[in-house]
Formats: sequence, C-alpha cells, structure tokens
Amino acid sequence: MHPFDIKTVVFAKHAQHVVLIHFPIALFIIGVLFDFLAQWKKQRLLAVAAYYNLLVAAISTIPVVVTGILAWQWELDGQKLKGILLMHLVLGSLSSVLICVVCFIHMRTRRKQEEVLPGYRLPIEVVAVVIVALTGHLGGFLSGVNGPG
Amino acid sequence: MRRSVSIAGLAAALVLGTLGFDAGQKSYVANAQEKMSTIEVKIDNFSFGPVTLTVPAGTTVTWINRDDIPHTVVSTDDSKTFKSKVLDTDEKFSFTFSKAGNYPYFCSIHPKMTGKVIVQ
Repeated sequence: MHPFDIKTVVFAKHAQHVVLIHFPIALFIIGVLFDFLAQWKKQRLLAVAAYYNLLVAAISTIPVVVTGILAWQWELDGQKLKGILLMHLVLGSLSSVLICVVCFIHMRTRRKQEEVLPGYRLPIEVVAVVIVALTGHLGGFLSGVNGPG
Repeated sequence: MRRSVSIAGLAAALVLGTLGFDAGQKSYVANAQEKMSTIEVKIDNFSFGPVTLTVPAGTTVTWINRDDIPHTVVSTDDSKTFKSKVLDTDEKFSFTFSKAGNYPYFCSIHPKMTGKVIVQ
C-alpha cells in the first residue's frame, strides 16, 4: 500500500475516521456546555466561546462524514448495511445534521446581531448531545475499544 | 517438605495444563477424519479461533461469527483470494482452499484480528 494513496487514510489499518471523530464530539459537547453556562450566567463571552466551538465542530464533521462513507464504500464495498453498522450510519448522519443545525442557529443570531439566542435551541442541543453520545457509543463498540488488545 | 513438593507439583501441572490449553486454541491441525471436509473457525471476542489452521488442499473452511459485533474475513494478499461480506452474529462465510500455500487473513473492520490458514 502506497503511503500517499488516498485509500490508506480510509482503510482499516490507517483509518482516519476513528481519529477525526473525536474532534466534533469534543468540540460540540464543550460548545453546548458553554452555551448552557452562557444562558445561566448571562455572559456574552461564554456565548461567543460556545459559538466558536460549535462552528469548528460543524466544520470538522465534514472530513468525518467523508472518511466514514469512503470506508463503507471501499473497505466494505458499499454493501447494504444492517444491525449496528446501519444504526451507526443513521445516527452519525443525524448527529452531523443536528450539529450543523445548532451551529446555524448560533450563526444566524450573530449575523442578525440579535442579543438573545432563541430558547428553542437548548432542547435541540440536548437531543443532539444524546444522539452524538449514542453514535459514539456504537462507534466504540464497532471499533473494538472494549475488545482485547 | 513433602507438602511443599506436592504444592509445587500441582502448580506446575496447572501451569503446563493452561499453556497446553492456550496453545490448542492458537493453532489447529485437521485430523484424518476432518480432512477433505468442512472445518469451522469461530469468531468470538475479537479473535479468530483457531488463529492458525492447517488443512489439506480441497478443504472448505467456514468462519462463523459468534461475537456480538460484525466482522469480516478478508485475505491479506493483494488479489484478495477470499473476502466475506460483513458477518453479523451467527452468520457464516465459507471458502474452499484448492491450492497449497499460506493464506493469512484479517477482519477489515478490526485489523488487529488476524488469522492464517496453511494449506498442505
């Protein structure tokens, strides 16, 4: 396998999906935490911190989704998925959409130069964190984090 | 003194027994009855069992996934002599080895999971 072959970053022995996935997960959860703190403490700086975390989280979902789909297409020949793999794909896609939706809500508020973020974002953020956690749990299960060696 | 010798003997027997059991799990040579038939490799707890399997040419090897996690069976060589679909729990994959040689393989979802079929 050639080190500069694009497939090396997708194939199992060098898979980047399992590496890159930690960025949106961490950034999104911290972003939501900052957002809740900003809501509670009424501090604008915390809201700004939340926005930047959510923005980078949304951007970092792109390589994660791309490497995940390419791994499915190349490593598993794009075969019809079922069971845990299918659930991981569906929940992963939903997580990416929700992260982008939350980021969009924050971005739109900033663009309109409104002072107050809409309250409905908070339940969306909570649901998104739960879906992200579920996806990560399934991903960990699939990647064999709990397996021997 | 006699008692300590007995304990040491018992401990040695236990160690040797454990080592023997472990070795039995890692490699396996098909006996005469199993020759030219189907031999099963169990996938469980993120490992293939037996890890190394020695069979005569013409033997069909069947991998069965007894794990809760999906796995694949893919030969390591570039031409991918054999490649299973994703095997869910209790699903099977079979391949008949017609030519002699060494056939290392792995799980493409969990590349640390490796095994080898030696065809004589």
